[in-house]
Amino acid sequence: MLPAFQSFHQTMKVILPDQGVRVMEQGQGTVGDLLHEIGINPLEVIVSRNGKLVPEQAAIGGNDEIRIIRIAHGG
Amino acid sequence: MEQRAAREESPACACCGEPAVVYQLVTRRHLCGTHLVLDVEERVRATIQETGQISPGDRIAVGLSGGKDSTALLVILSRLLPAWPGASLVAITVDEGIAGYRADTMRAAERLTEWLGVEHRIVSFRELIGDDLDALLLGRETQACTICGILRKKALADAARAAGATAIATGHNLDDEAQSVLMNAFRGDLPRLVRTTGTGTSTAFLPRIKPLMAIPEKEIASYLFVQDLFSVLPECPYTKYALRAEVRTLLSDYECRHPGTMQHLIESKRTIEKYCAGTPVMEPLHRCRECGDPCSGDLCQVCRLRHSLLE
Repeated sequence: MLPAFQSFHQTMKVILPDQGVRVMEQGQGTVGDLLHEIGINPLEVIVSRNGKLVPEQAAIGGNDEIRIIRIAHGG
Repeated sequence: MEQRAAREESPACACCGEPAVVYQLVTRRHLCGTHLVLDVEERVRATIQETGQISPGDRIAVGLSGGKDSTALLVILSRLLPAWPGASLVAITVDEGIAGYRADTMRAAERLTEWLGVEHRIVSFRELIGDDLDALLLGRETQACTICGILRKKALADAARAAGATAIATGHNLDDEAQSVLMNAFRGDLPRLVRTTGTGTSTAFLPRIKPLMAIPEKEIASYLFVQDLFSVLPECPYTKYALRAEVRTLLSDYECRHPGTMQHLIESKRTIEKYCAGTPVMEPLHRCRECGDPCSGDLCQVCRLRHSLLE
């Protein structure tokens, strides 16, 4: 018999520009909030949510996989 | 980083209501992938048209590093070119000889030109000056970007002339242009600030055109990403020595807090250019006594560099 209460453990996976991975629990907010929190200027990166490109105002959370890709290179 | 927008599940495109992929800071519009591609290509077409960068019959040599800006430039020009009857493209890649960096971008350049069906020529520093950049820079790494810039410009110009080009197109975007204005102001270099080798200037140089100069860097990356054309490539190992890297950080921080800053810098440059029109800001053109290339002094920068490398 199934238990009456089932807990859903949700973790958001954030792949950083250096390929480092951060797992964030109970994360709810926007792409812009996340970039602000980790100190990345949104003009220097593009961000995908579950493989699709999203703007800074897009909501993130739950089991999303967020990839932050640095775009500015070269001298 | 203080521009904190309201949370939206998935902002809608201002043109069609589909999920947006990008937010344009200055126009305050969200755009979906389809409308971003249309918008970018239309703005590039308008830039070319307004500044007379391409004419029917032109042969445009595109400097193709294989990085995102030159990739976007070649893709866009190959789509827009039918608007100029008889115009053609040739892509030129300069292999500077940078270990662990150039091989990936060279392969990307080869794949792209093959896909687009554009003629591709590769030239190297080894052919131009006898050695790879890595070897030339031993003990002078802090001058990397200056030395590389001088040689790359020469290699590209020579290859463009050999390919019968009438103009050289480079992938400089809005961010690059704004950074250059600020760097020249920091250096107090007025001649370089107003110098332009674009359409309508000296016949000693092949005109250099910058069709992406109105497009922010982030929109170029997004343009490629939504078409599966964006590749994560290695960073040049000499970037850490570049003044541009510092200026980029400073300027993108300002742009984020005060949208339009980059555009205002470029407009300031145009105003200064207008005031300087007809005044002798630049030294008169001479011919290099060793190679005959046009230059402002007795020796061109490449020949001066060749001498200094022999010392």
